[in-house]
Parts: sequence; structure tokens; C-alpha cells
Amino acid sequence: MKRNLSVLLSLLVLASFVLAACGGAAPTEAPAPAATEAPAATEAPVAYEGMMVESPDCDYGGEFKSIEAVDELTVKFTLCVPDPAFPSKIAFTAFAIQPSEYLESNGGTGDLLENPIGTGPYMVDSWVRGDQLVFKANPNYWGESIGADTLVFKWSTESAQRLLELQSGTVDGIDNVGPDDFATVEGDPNLQLVNRPALNIMYIGFNNNPTTEGFDNTTNPLANEKVRQAIAMGIDRQRIVDNFYPVGSEVASHFTPCAIPNGCVGDEWYAFDAAAAKALLAEAGYPDGFETVLNYRDVVRGYLPDPNVVAQDLQAQLKENLNITLKIEVMESGAFLAASDAGQLQGLHMLGWGADYPDQTNFLGYHFGAGASKQFGDHWDDITSALESGAQLAFDDDRAPFYTAANNAIRTHVPMIPVAHGGSAVAYKAGLAGNPHASPLGNETFSVTNNGTDTFVWMQNAEPISLYCPDETDGESLRACEQVTQSLLGYEVGGTAVEPVLAESYEANADLTEWTFHLRPGVKFSDGSSFDANDVVVSLSIQWDAANPLHTGNTGAFSYWSGLFGVFLNAPPQ
Amino acid sequence: MTFITATPAKLDSEALTSKSTSLWQITWHRLFRRKSSVIGMSILAMLVTTALTAQWIAPYSPTLSMLDASPPQNLQKRSSPCIHLLGCAQDQPQHIMGTDGNIRDEFSRMLYGARLSLMIGLSTVSFAIFIGTVLGALAGYFGGWIDNLIMRVMDVLLAFPSLLLAIAIVTVLGPGLINALLAIGIVSIPAYARVMRASVLSVREMDFVSATRSLGGNTYEILFKCILPNALTPLIVQGTLGIASAILDAAALSFLGLGAQPPTPEWGSMLGAERNQVFTAPHLVFYPGLAIMLTVLSFNLIGDGLRDALDPRLVHVSS
Repeated sequence: MKRNLSVLLSLLVLASFVLAACGGAAPTEAPAPAATEAPAATEAPVAYEGMMVESPDCDYGGEFKSIEAVDELTVKFTLCVPDPAFPSKIAFTAFAIQPSEYLESNGGTGDLLENPIGTGPYMVDSWVRGDQLVFKANPNYWGESIGADTLVFKWSTESAQRLLELQSGTVDGIDNVGPDDFATVEGDPNLQLVNRPALNIMYIGFNNNPTTEGFDNTTNPLANEKVRQAIAMGIDRQRIVDNFYPVGSEVASHFTPCAIPNGCVGDEWYAFDAAAAKALLAEAGYPDGFETVLNYRDVVRGYLPDPNVVAQDLQAQLKENLNITLKIEVMESGAFLAASDAGQLQGLHMLGWGADYPDQTNFLGYHFGAGASKQFGDHWDDITSALESGAQLAFDDDRAPFYTAANNAIRTHVPMIPVAHGGSAVAYKAGLAGNPHASPLGNETFSVTNNGTDTFVWMQNAEPISLYCPDETDGESLRACEQVTQSLLGYEVGGTAVEPVLAESYEANADLTEWTFHLRPGVKFSDGSSFDANDVVVSLSIQWDAANPLHTGNTGAFSYWSGLFGVFLNAPPQ
Repeated sequence: MTFITATPAKLDSEALTSKSTSLWQITWHRLFRRKSSVIGMSILAMLVTTALTAQWIAPYSPTLSMLDASPPQNLQKRSSPCIHLLGCAQDQPQHIMGTDGNIRDEFSRMLYGARLSLMIGLSTVSFAIFIGTVLGALAGYFGGWIDNLIMRVMDVLLAFPSLLLAIAIVTVLGPGLINALLAIGIVSIPAYARVMRASVLSVREMDFVSATRSLGGNTYEILFKCILPNALTPLIVQGTLGIASAILDAAALSFLGLGAQPPTPEWGSMLGAERNQVFTAPHLVFYPGLAIMLTVLSFNLIGDGLRDALDPRLVHVSS
């Protein structure tokens, strides 16, 4: 009797375990049936019918004229204006190609946010929100991968915890070693430190006309150009970099790092001069300073390794040099970015930018061009026009005068103060096979590294927001997408040079307005469907065309498209 | 008739005053006889002295950054403690507890932090006791629908985890020390209201209360002059222990960035700011942590001592 009871009990426990397990697995496995049904539809076509999305004219203000699938393996882009940086742009993670059927079946959102289908070395296995993201090797991958069969992404905002996990061996690589921990990692024979080149910028931004409802901009001291210039002169940036940045960082002379062509042409940034700054502030009508806020997010990025300490130093400097009282307001990361994009941040804000591709359009164009957000308030015509002209020229020498003019105009208007190009580092276990690297673009690839076991664990700063990267801007999301989805072109591992990925080759006409890409034959998506030109047209046109029913994504902002290619087609009137 | 009833009432009140002084004497006596409460009181005395004299003891201003960072000293941020008496090189600037991430003197910050922590503890608990006492007394004295209304609201407040509720309140009001104090004060009201109500319920049935009532005392007199003083004892114990948890809650809020805003030297925010340096600069986490622990410990020891000392049952047992 007693035995019967215990058997019954253990059966009950077992049953509850099984139930719990099934309950947990259901949401992640749900997309699978939809994905396997898709190929049936694509394998049948008799005659290939290429799609084309076209704008009737170029008056809508954006860069694209049309995207056309010429034949099954050829895609042609027609642009309204010449764009020499087009290959660099189209290689970016946000413009990755997913199966058109899959995009349509999800309505451009839903499962797409959790489970992208790509052509890359990995596919999503499971994503336990708040815990870990697990990838498994993509059996249909067309390229060579030496990576472990299972790739796990974990995250922790605390650099001390990341280092501890690496030291204890539970993870194989960590992002952003804490600035004080560089020596620890270098001194540990079991670890290796890989420095990431400083292809980024940390800046202190101002909004000259916040869009917050009810905000009275006439009493806003920061709407005054002289006040912004005074603050620019009144901050000792050298002191910040010397004390709070790791080795390999430098004071920013311009917004764009010098390693980028035409990055630092034009006058250098203001030298620190507290007396002149005070005089200028008095001239602007604020001899006794004023009170304002400093917004930032408490997250560590390569450009800002110790946000709280830097914020407090800024607070101390502005108080001492200009008698400006800064109230520090730390915001949640997502809310901060959203408020910044919407132009709602008042006062000062600290933010930074890491290169997505090595071109001025990614730095100046994205932030201060005509298509830029309202982060810095109203745009300045002299900046936008110089950037527009510069972006259309093919050769660096021809572009130089325009970027010189843009940099000088930025120096005059001070939409932000460039502070530092921050050095950062990735740490791995010692003795990994392959190429454990740190990418200057922050998009480390894990299919080129192997730790000798079937699982490789990577720990980064934060959890991806979603895995539909056309609608994400955070590097932590983009890195995860990089493992799964691919674009027509890509960047070399650990570098910035553009190389063919899903397109084997491409050519442009003489005035750089027509770009033809020849796709790689025989490529299959991880769900088994085959890759063709229509997938390219659909993947990109749903970003371009605001009226497309699939133009939904996670938030619907598609910031990278508008930042790099200007206004959306059929954009709703503002 | 009036003569007869008046005399015992007078006697009673005389007896009451003489008894209450002796109760306090006994309490003090018992408090000093307990080793643990003496330890608690000495720690507290030290903290209070520190807090009161911070501006004279502290070698630097707590918000002055970049101390000795320029030549010739070239002090690095988060430098380890340097005490000349203990053999630190004479040409090095002396920082008893080292410097923090902004090259500020950690020792000075700790001293000013004591001032802030004690203020937080006392002000939140005073606020909570004041509101809690009034609400509890009203509920206990009047009973009926007033009791029901007040105590159900208190139950709702108690149903939330206190720190979560405090975070919610701070989120609505905006981060800052005053708002954090308000939040902690609000979440600790129910405890005092309940204690007060229970004591009022038992005291209001006592003979001397009936006597005052029969003498024609009005509600205000009965409640605040007659019942309240005699129901305060459990509240004192609860309040002393409450200071400890208020300090802890404030430290937790500041650790999360919702309490004291930089550059205010608050122990919780100092701990939070340097949490990633726990291996590279352990002193920056150790000292604030130790200070919070000692403060909370001292109030808990005193609270425990007071509870035992004020408990009439225990008085008989040991004396």
C-alpha cells in the first residue's frame, strides 16, 4: 500500500514535470511548423516572376527610386542621387534578407521579433527572456563555419559579474571589460584581452528645441548658440579621458573618428578655457549660470565605460567652471533612446555612437543630416546641405571640402560636444581555436571561433531587444542578429572592409545611381526555403515603403533606413 | 457623590505619574545592564558624534573631486587607503579610506553619509509614527466604520512588498532624496498604525479612561492626553527597530539610483556607484557596506533591548 502510494506520487510529480516542460517549450517551437510549410510554396514556381517596388518620382525626398528583381539571381537598385557609400550601407545588419514568405506570414512582426530566419551560420534555437538566447548551427549554411554547434548569448550589465563568469569558466568570451579590469585580464594566463579599435564617439548632446509638450523654448538657455559654445569651452575633456577611460581612448577632436575617411577635416574642437567660457556665458546673458538636467542611461558601452563617474565629473566641472547646476537624471535605456529619438530630452544628455560602417554618412549623416531625428532639435541648413552634397560624391578628395564645411558648421552651432573616442576590449578564454576577435563595428562573429566543445557561451552587456534588426538600433540586438541573418554584402571579420556575402558581385553605373547585385546561387535559408531576388525586394521594400502592410516591426521606427537612406516612401505627413 | 468618585481618580492619576517615572528608571537600568544594548548605544553615540561634527572632522569637502589628481601627486581614481601612521609614504597625500571613482576623499564622504543616514532614519520614522499614531488612535478609539476604513487602507498598503511600493512611489514622484524619504515614510505607516490601534484598544477599556470620561473629559482630551501617553510603549520599540529598516530601505533605493542623487554622499548610492569595483577597489564597497551594517545593527540592538526592558512580564522575571 505504502509502495503504491509512493509510485503514484512520483508519477504525479513526473507528469507535472512533463507538463511544465511542454508549457515552456511551446512558444519557441510554435514558429517551426509555419517555417517548414513555406518551402512547399517556393519550390513549385514554373516561370520566375521578378518583383519590383518603385517610387513614381523622386520628389518624396528619399534616396531610393526603385528596387527590382531583374531575374532570379539579379537585383537592381535605382537611386535618386549618387551614393558612393551604397555598398557599405547595404552591407549593414539592418538590411539583412529574410524569406519573403516568412515575412508575409508574420505580418512583419510577431514571431519575426523572436525567431528570424536567415542564411547565416546559426539559427535561433530558444530564447528565454531574461535568461539566455540559444542558437544552434544552421544545417543549410552555405559558407564555412568552425563554430560550436550551440552558441549561447548571456548578458549582465555589471562588468564585475561578466569578468567573474569568464574567470570561473562558465562563459567563453565577454564584451566590454571594465576599464579597471584590463590589467587583471592581461595578467591572467587563462584569459586573453582583445582590444577593440576606438571607432566610436561619446558626446554630450543638446536639444535646441525639445518637442516635449508644453515646453517653453523661449526660456531655454540651451536654445542659445552662445550658451552651447560656452559649455563646449568650459568642459575639460582631457581630464575626463585621462581619468575615466581605459588605454587606447583619445579626446575627440571631431565628432567622427579620424580613422574614417574625411573624419576629422576642418577645425579642431574648442580648447578648454574656463575664463573664456565664463565670459561667453555672461555675454549670452547668464553670468550667474543656470540650472538644467543631464540625462543618460546607466549602461556600459565601448564609448562610455563608466557613465556614472563621467556624469558626476561633468556635474562638478560645470558647477566649478560655469556655475551651471546639473541635475543628474538616469533613465532606463530603452526609454532614454526613445526620448532622444523623439527629441524630448531637455537639457544635456550623454550618449554615444559606434560605427556601423566606416563612412561619414554613418556618423555625420545619421546624426545631423536631413533625415536625422530631432535628437538635437531643429536642423541647421548649412550642416544638412553640406552633408547632402558630400554624400553624393564618389572620391574622398572630392568629398573633403563638404565635410570640412559640415564639421566647421557643427563646431559653430554646437548641437553636441564630442568628448572621447573610447577604447574598449573583449576578453576570451586563452587557447581558443580560430579567430577570437573584437570587431571595431561591434559585430563579433562566433562562427570563426571554437573552444573545443559543442557549446560556446558569450556574455554581453544587455539582452537583445528584439531579433528583427531592421527595426533595432542597439548594438546588443544587432550582434545577435549578425549570427543569424545576412545582408547582400558584409564586413570582414574583425574589420571594416566590405566583402560579398549573399551577393557574389555587384556593379554600378558611372554616376553611381544604378547598382546591380548578382546573387549567390544555391543559398538556402535555415528553414529550407531557397534564397532569390524576390526575398531581397520584399525584405528591403517593407522597410522603405511606410505604406507597406509589413512595415510594422517592433516599434515601427526603422531608424536605420531613414537615417541612412532618408525619408520613407509614402511617409505619413508630419 | 462627586466627592467619592473624584478622589480615587486623583489618586489613580498620581499613582500613574509616579509609576511612569519609575518605569522609565527601570527601563534605563535594564537597558544598561544588557551588554548588547550597551554596544548598540555606543555605536549609535559614535555615529551621532560623527554626524554632528562631520564638517570639522572631515579633511575635505565630500563633493570636491579631482583631489591631488594633478602633479606632483598624480593620484589615480579609486586609490587604496593611505594612512601615514600606518606606513604609507609621506609624499603621498593621506586619504584614510582612499578615494572614489571621481577622486573624492572617501573618508569625508563617509562622515557626511552618517549625517544623511541618521537624518533619513529619524525623519522617515518620525513622519511614519506621526501619521501612523493619529490614524491608529482614531481607528482604535472610534471603532466602527472609521476603524474599518482606516485599517483596510492600511491592509492594502501592507499587501505590497514595502520596497516595491517605495519604488513605485518614487517612480511617480521622481527620483530624489526627499521623495525617497516620503516613499519610505508612507510604506512604514501601516506598522505603526496597527501597533497604535492595538494599544489604544486595550488602554481605552481601562478604569482610568472610564474615570476621565465620567469626569466629562472631551474626546480630544481622552484620546491624546489620557490614552496616547499610556499606549506609546510598544510604539517606541517599533520605532527604534523601524529606524533600522528605514535606513536600509533608503540605502536600497539609493543603490538603485532612486534615492539620493549624485553628488550627495549617501552610503547606499556610494555602494551602488562602485559595485563593479568590488574586486579592483574593495575598500569603496567595504566601508559604506560596513557603515550601513553598523548603523542598522546599533538600532536593532537598542530596539531589542528596549523591547525587553519595557516588557512588564520580563521585569518580574529578572528583578
